[in-house]
Amino acid sequence: MSTARPGLHLASTGSYPRIGDSPELQLLRRTVAALDRGDRTSADLHDAEHEMTRRAIADQMKAGLDVITDGLIRWYDPISHLAGKLENVKIRGLLRFFDTNCYFRQPILAGKPMRPGPLVVDEYSFARNALGHLPTPKSKAGKLSIKPVLTGPYTLGKFSQAEHTENGARHSYASLEARTMAYAEALAAEITALAEYGAELIQVDEPAAVKFPEDWAIFEISLAPLIAARDKLREGGRKIEIALYFYFHDCTPLYEKLVKLPADIVGLDFTYNPKLPDLIASAGSPKPLGLGLVDARNTRLEDPEAITRQIERLLPKIDGGRAYLGPSSGLEYLPRDRAFAKLALLGRVREALLGLKGPAR
Amino acid sequence: MSREKLKSLGLKLPLFPTTSVGSFPKPDYLAKARAEFGKGKITAEALRELERNATKFWIQTQEKLGVDVLVDGEMYRGDMVAYFAESLPGFTQGGLVRSYGNRYYHKPIITAAVEWPGPVTVDWWKYAQSLTKKPVKGMLTGAYTIMDWSFNEHYPDRRSTAMALARVIRKEVEALIESGCKIIQIDEPALSVRPEELPIAIEAMEVTTKDLRAYFITHACYGAFEQIYPGMLALAVDNFDLEMANNDLGLLDIFRRQRFTKDISFGVVDVHTHKMEDEDAVRRRVEQALTILEKDQIWVDPDCGLKTRTVDEAIEKLRLCVAAAHSFRN
Repeated sequence: MSTARPGLHLASTGSYPRIGDSPELQLLRRTVAALDRGDRTSADLHDAEHEMTRRAIADQMKAGLDVITDGLIRWYDPISHLAGKLENVKIRGLLRFFDTNCYFRQPILAGKPMRPGPLVVDEYSFARNALGHLPTPKSKAGKLSIKPVLTGPYTLGKFSQAEHTENGARHSYASLEARTMAYAEALAAEITALAEYGAELIQVDEPAAVKFPEDWAIFEISLAPLIAARDKLREGGRKIEIALYFYFHDCTPLYEKLVKLPADIVGLDFTYNPKLPDLIASAGSPKPLGLGLVDARNTRLEDPEAITRQIERLLPKIDGGRAYLGPSSGLEYLPRDRAFAKLALLGRVREALLGLKGPAR
Repeated sequence: MSREKLKSLGLKLPLFPTTSVGSFPKPDYLAKARAEFGKGKITAEALRELERNATKFWIQTQEKLGVDVLVDGEMYRGDMVAYFAESLPGFTQGGLVRSYGNRYYHKPIITAAVEWPGPVTVDWWKYAQSLTKKPVKGMLTGAYTIMDWSFNEHYPDRRSTAMALARVIRKEVEALIESGCKIIQIDEPALSVRPEELPIAIEAMEVTTKDLRAYFITHACYGAFEQIYPGMLALAVDNFDLEMANNDLGLLDIFRRQRFTKDISFGVVDVHTHKMEDEDAVRRRVEQALTILEKDQIWVDPDCGLKTRTVDEAIEKLRLCVAAAHSFRN
C-alpha cells in the first residue's frame, strides 16, 4: 500500500438532491407547495427540511464518505440563501447560475450587507446532531465530520448589484470591490461563529473566481478577512481549516495561482479540461487538493478504474499526500439515484486503492 | 423589422402585437387528471379530452382579452424539454432535478441516436387553430436548449448533439408549415448559458429554419445577454422574445450601445412573482422600449411562460400586456 493512500479522504462537495422520485423523497417539495397554499406552517417546513437533511447525511454515510455536508437542503440557491440573510440586501429576479440549468435570485444591495447574526450555524449544528444519531460503522468511529459550506465573498459580490439611487448618483456599493469586501467581512464573522460551534473544516465556494479571471485581484484581497479570522481562531487554540473550492470552469489556466492561495485546501473541478491531471502530475501541489474527478453534472458514470489510476498518479505529487476525492461540484444537478451512484463510486475507488476488493468494478 | 415578411405570409397584425410566451397554468382539474394518469387511474383518452377542454378555455380567454397572436397554452406538456424528450426516440427519462426554488423537472438523458418519429406538436396546433381565426403560434424547443438541458450519454460532444437535434426539430418545423402554421416560436432559453458556444446555437438554428417559409420567433431568458450581444442577432429568426421586466429593462442599456435589428417580443410583466404590476408601470416599460426601438419592431407579452402563476394571475398579467399595447396603438 502506498504511504499516501491513508491521506485520501472521500468528501462531499456541497449540495445533494433535495428530491427523489419516490413519494417519501418528495416531502420537501410537497411541503413547500402546501406552505405556499397556506395549508402548512413554517414549522412543517422546518420538519421537512430536517428530514431531508437527515436523509442526505445518511446517503453520504452509506456511500462511505468521511467529510459530509448537510446537502445544502435548505438553500433556495447558492447566492440568495446567504445574501438574503444579511441586512440591507433585497432578493430580486432570477438569473441563471453559471452554465447549469438552475437559477438563483439576485441580491440587490441597498446599503452595506451586514450580518445580523449567524447565517448557517443552526444548519451546521443540526447536521452535526443528525450525524451523531446515525449508526456509525466501527471503522469510521470518530473519523466522520460535517463540513459547513459558504459561498465566497467574490462570488456573492459578482452576482449582486447595487440598488439604483433615485437621483442617479453612484451607489456606494456599485463597485464590485466594495460589494465583495462587505460580504467578506460578514463571512469572516460567520467562519468565526462556525468554528466556535465546532467546525474544523469549512468549505468556501468561489466558482466565479475561475470564470472571471479578470477580477483576480479583487477575489484575492477578499480572502484576507477570512484568512485573518482563521488565523485568529488558531491563535485561540481552535483547529480550523478553510477549503476553497473552484468549479464550473476550467481551473487549468489559473492552477499555479490557485494552489498558492492562503487556503488550507484547494478543491478543483476536473471536468472542464482533461489536461488538469497532467498539469498537477507535472507541477505538483504545495497543499492538499480537493479532487473533483467525478462529474457532478452528467449522469454517465465514470470508470472507477480510470479514477483509481488518476489518484495513484496524483497523490504522490500532492504535499503530504492528503487529498479529498469528491464530485466536481455539488450533486444537486443530478437525479438523486445518479447522485448516490456517484458517491458510491467514490467508495469503490477507495476500496480499490486500499486493495480491499481488487479492481474497482 | 419583418412587417414585410408578415405581410407576405398573409398576416396583418396591428402595431404592438400582443402574444404570450407559450405556457399557461393548467386548471386544477387538469393538474389532478395528469397526476391520476401518472398513477394509471385514468386513460390517455380521458386525459386528452381534458387537455382539449383546457386548450379551448385558453384560446377563448386569449380571444376575450384581445391577444393578437395566440398560443395553445401547452396543456398537454410538462416541461418544455422533457415533452420533446418523451416524444423523440433516443431519449430516456431521467429523475427529477431542480430548476429553481421549489421547481423541479425530469431532466432527460440521451442514451441513443435521436430520431423524428413523425409530427409531435402538429395535431395540437391544428386543434388550437381550429378554435380561432387569429393566428396560433407553433411552439417548439430549440436544439441547443434541448441539448443543454439533457444529460448526454450517447453523442461525443455538445456540437454533434445539437446538430443531430436540429435536424430532428427541422422536420417538426416542416410539418407545422405544411399544416398551415405561419408563425413558429423556437425557444432557446439556454442561448446565453455558454457564450463561447453561441456559434453552435446559431448553426443549430440555421439548420432548423433555413429556407423555410414562416415568421420565426425565439424566446430566451435569464441569461448573460451582454456576453452574446450583438452576436446573437445572427440567429436565423425574425423576432427575439426576451424577458425585460424581470431585470428592470436592463437589456435596453445593451441595445442602446448597439442597435437591435430584429423584431422583439418585449416582456413587460414579471412571471415569477405573484405580485401584480399596475397598468402605469407596464405602460412605462413600453415607453422605455420606445426610447430605443422603433414602434413597428415591438410586440408586447409577458417575460416568460405563465404556467407558474395561478389561472387568475395569468389572465390578469395577460390583460395588463394587452391594455398597455392598446394604449400605444391609440
